[in-house]
Amino acid sequence: MARTAGGIEVEGTVTECLRNATFRVELENGHKVLAHISGKIRKNYIKILPFDRVLVELSPYDLNRGRILYRYRN
Amino acid sequence: MESVHLTARGDGQAVTIERVADGSWQAVEDDQVVGRGDLSGRPDGRMFVSVDAWHCAVFDRLAGAMLAELPRPLYTLVDEDDLDLISHWERAGFTARRREWECLVPTDPALTGLGPALPPPGVTIGPAEDGPLRVLDRVIRDEVEAAVGWREMPAEVLPRPAAPDLSRYTVAAEAGEYVGLVRLAAVTRQPRIGLVAVRSGRRRRGIGRALLARVLDDLHRRGIEAASAEVNESNTAAMALFEAIGARRTGSNLELVLKGSERHG
Repeated sequence: MARTAGGIEVEGTVTECLRNATFRVELENGHKVLAHISGKIRKNYIKILPFDRVLVELSPYDLNRGRILYRYRN
Repeated sequence: MESVHLTARGDGQAVTIERVADGSWQAVEDDQVVGRGDLSGRPDGRMFVSVDAWHCAVFDRLAGAMLAELPRPLYTLVDEDDLDLISHWERAGFTARRREWECLVPTDPALTGLGPALPPPGVTIGPAEDGPLRVLDRVIRDEVEAAVGWREMPAEVLPRPAAPDLSRYTVAAEAGEYVGLVRLAAVTRQPRIGLVAVRSGRRRRGIGRALLARVLDDLHRRGIEAASAEVNESNTAAMALFEAIGARRTGSNLELVLKGSERHG
């Protein structure tokens, strides 16, 4: 887990696609967060599906919420 | 790094908006980035913005700083289920321009009903070759420009390929020239139908259906159960084609636009 100027970024796996454009992501440490996708991912029509490995930026205000910044190629 | 000296006090803390690079902004609070803004262009010339922020006040300030610097029109894309994000952009002056349906297309012939959907007499379906594919690409682009324009086409507008990846294309040929194509985006875990196009004078003969039958059957044989596609809501012919082969709508994207000379306060 790396602390960056942009916040805490951690890798995880998408476990569920929920309504309201949110996803449940299980992080490397087993913690589960609710995450939206970043605007760049949305603009580029990158699809997020269950079992995708993703990079999540955790909210500095609520560590149960995050934003998917990147989808790794499986 | 260029600071535009805007501050917000959304949660009792000062937020500073900075333009950190060409087309890139960030909101900083207590030396921590709490929001990001991005501007990027599309091959059709339109400029798309995005803002990621944890709080409404930060979103508003970040969007305001960006919009104050940028020419109009500006576009953005939102998931129609994301009501919070839509309301953020509406506060910034954006309005809905068009809707794209996201569809999941089955590949099993038993579900699509395509079976051995044969092309009309004289038309063959097969892999693409570079020369005639470039000719067809130019013809289709000209036809789209002369009709609805690429801005009305869904999702994916690619620049003219310097060297098209022929493996992505399946084409329909008639009398020695290509008359239609399907382009499959290179997505490994769920293929995406990037474009289905038939020359204007050759439509309504089952060529598009035959092209899809070939592509979907190939995917099915490889063990892939479904492909995704985006269809513009106003493209009733395309929507009818996909729904006729068992595609179901899984969501929708709204394209929002900020027109004219509005300035966000």
